Amino acid sequence: MRIADQGWMATTAILRYPLRTAMMLIATAIGVSAVLMLTSLGEGARAFVTGEFKSLGTNLLVVLPGKIETSGGGLPGAMGGSPRDLTLDDAIAIARGQHVARVAPVIPGAATISYRNRERDIDVLGTSAAFASIRGVKAAAGQFLPETELDRAMPVCVIGETLRSELFDDANALGKWVRVGDRRFRIIGVMQDAGTVATINIDEALFIPIGSAQQLFNTQGIFRLLVETKSEAVMDAARRELIRTVEARHFGNDDITVVTQDAVLSTFNTIFNALSAALGGIAAISLIVAGTLIMNVMLVAVSQRTQEIGLMKALGARRKQIISLFLLESALLSLFGAMVGVAVGQLAIAGLNAAYPSVAFRAPAWAVIAAVTTALASGLIFGIMPARRAASLDPVEALSGR
Amino acid sequence: MTTADIIAFTSRSVLSHRLRSSLTALGIAIGVAAVVLLTSLGEGLNQFLLQEFSQIGTNSIAINPGRPGTFGVSTGVINTVRPLTIEDGEALARLPQIKAWTPIRAGVADLEGNRRQRTTSVMGVGPGAPIFFGMNTALGKFLPPDDPQSPRPFVVLGSKVRQDMYGDSNPLGERMRIGGSRFQVIGVMESRGNLLGFDLDDLVFIPAARALELFNTRGLMEIDVQHYGNYPADEVVAAVKRLLIARHGHEDFSIVTQQQVMDTMDSVLDVLKFAVAALGSISLLVGGVGIFTIMTIAVRERRPEIGLLRAIGSTRRHVQELFLAESIVLASLGGFIGLVVGAGGALLLGVAVPALPVTISIPYLLGALALAIIIGLVAGVLPAHRAAALEPLEALRAE
Amino acid sequence: MPGLIRLEKICRDFQVGDQTVHALRDLDLLIEAGEYVSIMGPSGSGKSTLLNVLGLLDSPTSGRYWLNDRDVSVLSDDEVAATRQSEVGFVFQFFHLIPRMTALENVELPLTLAGVARGERAQRAALILDQMGLSDRAHHRPDQLSGGQRQRVAIGRAMVMKPKLLLADEPTGNLDTESGDEVIEIIEKFNVEGLTVIVVTHDPALGKRARRHLLMVDGRIAQDDCG
Ligand SMILES: Nc1ncnc2c1ncn2[C@@H]1O[C@H](COP(=O)(O)OP(=O)(O)OP(=O)(O)O)[C@@H](O)[C@H]1O
Ligand SMILES: [Mg+2]
Repeated sequence: MRIADQGWMATTAILRYPLRTAMMLIATAIGVSAVLMLTSLGEGARAFVTGEFKSLGTNLLVVLPGKIETSGGGLPGAMGGSPRDLTLDDAIAIARGQHVARVAPVIPGAATISYRNRERDIDVLGTSAAFASIRGVKAAAGQFLPETELDRAMPVCVIGETLRSELFDDANALGKWVRVGDRRFRIIGVMQDAGTVATINIDEALFIPIGSAQQLFNTQGIFRLLVETKSEAVMDAARRELIRTVEARHFGNDDITVVTQDAVLSTFNTIFNALSAALGGIAAISLIVAGTLIMNVMLVAVSQRTQEIGLMKALGARRKQIISLFLLESALLSLFGAMVGVAVGQLAIAGLNAAYPSVAFRAPAWAVIAAVTTALASGLIFGIMPARRAASLDPVEALSGR
Repeated sequence: MTTADIIAFTSRSVLSHRLRSSLTALGIAIGVAAVVLLTSLGEGLNQFLLQEFSQIGTNSIAINPGRPGTFGVSTGVINTVRPLTIEDGEALARLPQIKAWTPIRAGVADLEGNRRQRTTSVMGVGPGAPIFFGMNTALGKFLPPDDPQSPRPFVVLGSKVRQDMYGDSNPLGERMRIGGSRFQVIGVMESRGNLLGFDLDDLVFIPAARALELFNTRGLMEIDVQHYGNYPADEVVAAVKRLLIARHGHEDFSIVTQQQVMDTMDSVLDVLKFAVAALGSISLLVGGVGIFTIMTIAVRERRPEIGLLRAIGSTRRHVQELFLAESIVLASLGGFIGLVVGAGGALLLGVAVPALPVTISIPYLLGALALAIIIGLVAGVLPAHRAAALEPLEALRAE
Repeated sequence: MPGLIRLEKICRDFQVGDQTVHALRDLDLLIEAGEYVSIMGPSGSGKSTLLNVLGLLDSPTSGRYWLNDRDVSVLSDDEVAATRQSEVGFVFQFFHLIPRMTALENVELPLTLAGVARGERAQRAALILDQMGLSDRAHHRPDQLSGGQRQRVAIGRAMVMKPKLLLADEPTGNLDTESGDEVIEIIEKFNVEGLTVIVVTHDPALGKRARRHLLMVDGRIAQDDCG
């Protein structure tokens, strides 16, 4: 018997009971679309987070003071101190490296800012002019921090837009003097709205030169050093060169940790992919349930079509032919159901994207393939028993309807 | 027809199609089992964290420098114009409500001792710290109550650090260098394992003042205080706030009570549990579609029977009840099996993978069963209605 | 060895509970190619059982059966199916048409099962339907046809594979006299063209039309006359 003929026979059998067929399609479709939607949520979250990082350029090295060797102890190293600071002089030495395009040291902190009688507790970021281009932010009015030697303290600052409106309402902020902690700074720029970039809320932050931040917070150490290499290709060379530089300056100790964007990204990718897989896996359980339904209905079909099966056998149908007829029927059911599910799922995802334009929800290709394969496999596996039952019917009994 | 008769009748028809009935019930069972299993994992995680946190000193309050940051961690922890100091902690300790306290300054430093070298997390703390870390010493003692401003250079090792540097030999009294300064080992902590990915065995404790020196800073990352249980937390928080504002002239710190942390965690986990239950319920929904389909088929197949029932005097209502009852029986059967399998699976999982906290959540368990029954009811309504709507003569003529 | 069909000591027992029903008892039979045989006898005498055994739908409990000089008692399941497909045609009392298929598709079914290409299939089926006088009903479904028309479709289906042997179990049992006669005439026409025909019937008039008459009683052939 030809495949096309088998397909046609199975299709006519399926179309004979529209309600029943519709229900089996719905069951499979629910499972498949649930897999798609849930994995698209995970994928959307992943794309959102990694997108935030990616926008910061791929040729970026982040240098942290202190060496993190153990897996568990990462937290204090990242947040606390290290006995030998990474100093501004280290930063200057690193900036001279042949693969380095520019560096931006960062000292974050908290302080109180006041203008006339208004006061706010804010995040302060001591950094250099290069920060703006490395992090992809810019001043909307005035300018960002001036290009100077790194270690020069200057009483100037750049403020975020939210902070500006809170302190000055609609008045012009440029050129005004504000008090930060026990020092005075002149505002030379207002940042463009940027929201949160790499965990810093730009709109509410205050930027001051790194040298001024050292004085304000009475610290020598740099919290982070952002290093932009000349190209992505020289990342490794830059990293080695940088470690050598620090080693030479720290008496043979390479007591720093260098993190690449890639490492961070791949960690996030792993986490979110695992999340998507878990969500999809839970949703896929429903495909097994859909499989039991298909099996059940196929069993009913076998008993209802007993006489037909008997006749087929009388006409010389082989055991294999009958098995493949019924298997094909369950496969078609699950395949159509999966197709409906993919369509519905994609529609729902399109809806999600319309509702939340800032996040790119998208069912990953592996999820679509896995969902459809699982649906199909489930239909086939659960179809085996009814098909075998059909094939082993005794023709005489089947014909007499006994 | 009495209820008993209805039950007898429906169980008869459920049993007459054993394979079909079991498959239908299986659909529901899988869904219920998934819900029960997933919520057991969620509840287990909840209980586990609750227990972990309650070990970390009840009635404790954490004070951090700087206002609360956008991402939970205050930037003030790193640098601030007005740091939290050990003096602040001493002043807090003098409050009548306060029972114990510790300053905290963490960092990373190189250890040298026993001719070995290692880079490790260093926690600068006070003598009261074990309460707040939920840890005890296994060997020797913890940091003694020296003058917080100039404590003696003692160090207490985490169990992993001790293993790595001293193996099984006794480290008590040994001298070691931490970031170049000399310290003497006076204790070893008992093993505590991971807490939220942070290895509590891979660190050393030194006096906070020494840590500030080591890291060349004046500011603490945190001060933890524990108050007496007979004072309400609100009142203690207010007193702490008043004192620190008086000292700093300004509210440049943030206060989090342990209760708040636990409440937040609780609500996060509640959402999580609900979410996994909802995920599991997708299967339950598909199971419902299964019941609907099978009941529709049953009504069609049993038209002669329905006709006969009507011919011998059953009302439409009776017929409807019979089919509805059948659908509910199937769903509850599945629900019950799923419950047993899910709970059994959860328990087995707990035994097989001891690291995995598993606790069966009774409300979710009953909820899943109830949901299964409701699904049976809803799925049965339409087929039962169809059965009832059949004209007796027509039904008899079928076949 | 001559004979299209040769049965030797065929027994067919059915186990019903703890009771054994002997539907066929030590039955010997020889039928030549091209014969026209009717089988009659009281209800329950084993006529249908014999027909099923002859058509390889059922296998005897003991005894041997040669079809076309081949011992079919030793064939595998698939070989039996293949033999049924190519050499035997069945016509049943209750037609057994597939309700969701048109007359033409029902006739095509054996060709479809045999894997014959679509074009050839339609052609052959249409030809047979034409012989049955049903060309104008080709696209009707069984429930849109009369009983006689249905049985003619079933004969078409039996004949489309050009079998050597046609087995009909009370082919007119469900038909009025007029359409019954129509059906029998068609079958007889095929017999004239060389087809071996075996008909089980309760209708004496119909039974008489055959050239050879078998009377079955209690699982045995009680009478075999060629007059
Ligand atoms: N599958 C079966 N199981 C048990 N007994 C059977 C089976 N098939 C046939 N029989 C028995 O075998 C005997 C012969 O049956 P068969 O159907 O061949 O009779 P028949 O001559 O065709 O009768 P009728 O004229 O009523 O069709 C009967 O007693 C019948 O009860
Ligand atoms: Mg018979």
